[in-house]
Amino acid sequence: MITTIIALACVTFATRYLFLAKHLPFTIGPKFQRFLSFSAPCVLTAIWVPIVFMQNGELASNLHNPYILGATMAILLALKFKSLYITTFGSLAVFFVFF
Amino acid sequence: MKIAIKKGLLDMLPLNLAVLPWGILCGSLAIQNGFSALEAQLMSLLVFAGSAQLVAIELMAKDVSFVTLLITTFIISARHLLYGLSIRNKMVDKPLKWRGPIAFFLTDELFAFSHHHRAYQGKLRLVYALVAGFSFYLAWNLWTFFGIVAGQFLPDLTNLGLDFAIAAIFIALVVPGISNLPILLACVVSGLSMLYFKTVEFEFGLVAAALLGMTTGYLLQAKEDKS
Repeated sequence: MITTIIALACVTFATRYLFLAKHLPFTIGPKFQRFLSFSAPCVLTAIWVPIVFMQNGELASNLHNPYILGATMAILLALKFKSLYITTFGSLAVFFVFF
Repeated sequence: MKIAIKKGLLDMLPLNLAVLPWGILCGSLAIQNGFSALEAQLMSLLVFAGSAQLVAIELMAKDVSFVTLLITTFIISARHLLYGLSIRNKMVDKPLKWRGPIAFFLTDELFAFSHHHRAYQGKLRLVYALVAGFSFYLAWNLWTFFGIVAGQFLPDLTNLGLDFAIAAIFIALVVPGISNLPILLACVVSGLSMLYFKTVEFEFGLVAAALLGMTTGYLLQAKEDKS
C-alpha cells in the first residue's frame, strides 16, 4: 500500500514539477507566454462555473437557486470592491440566506 | 518579510477553511476503505491532491490494476502541467530550494494566486507563495487528520454549501482581472465548454476547457493588436 501511495505521489509531483525543471530544453517565447497568460482566469473559471451552474451532475434548471444568486452577488462585489474577503463573505451571506 | 508571510496566510485562509469538508472526506473515506491511519495521512502528506486522492482511494479499494490507478491519477493531475508551464518563465531561473517546494505546493489553490505579472519575482513574492502554499498543505493535512480520527462520528459536510465558498473565492480572484474583451470571452468560452464537458463526462474536460478559452483569448488579443 505504501509503495502505491509513493507511486501516486510521484505522478502528482511530476505533473507539477515537469515544466519547472531546468533541464527541460525549451524556452517559452513571448507569443506562447501571451497564450499562457490566459491560463489562470480560464482554469479558475472552468472550476467555479460547474460548481455554480451544476448540482448533482445536472445543469441547474432554476435560476433562483442559492448558487446562482450567490455567484451573481460575488461578481457584483468583485467588480465593485476587488477584495477577496468582501467578495467571499458578502456572497456567502447571500448564498446562505437562500440555501 | 513579515508582510509577505502575513499576506500569504491571509490570502490563503478562506480556501484553507473552504476545503475542510473535502479534507475530512479524504481522511474518512480512506479509513472506510481499509487504509490504516498512517496510509490515510500519507495520501495527504505525499500525494496532496484533493480530487485525485478521492478517486485513487476508491479505485484502490476496488482493487483496480496498478496501471489503471496511475493513468487515472495522471489524467486528474494533468491540469498541473498547464500550471507549471504558465509559471515556467517566472520560476525556471530560481534555485531548486525554491522551485522544488513551490512545485510540490502547486495546487489549483496556489495557482489561483500565481497570476500577478510579478508573481514569484524577488524573494518576498517567493516567500509569499511558499507561505500560502504551505499553509494550504498544513490545513489540508489537518482536515485529513480530523477525518481519520473523527470521520465516523461526523456527518457528510460536503453538502453544507462550502463548495460555493470555493466558487466565490475563485470569482473574487478572476473577475477583477477581466480588464478587456479577450479575457472576458476567454472566460466565457472556458466556462461554457466546461459545462458541456461535464455533462458528457469528458475526463480531460478541465484542461480542454482551459485550452479552448486560452485560444479564444489569444486569437482575439492578436486580432486587436493588429487593428
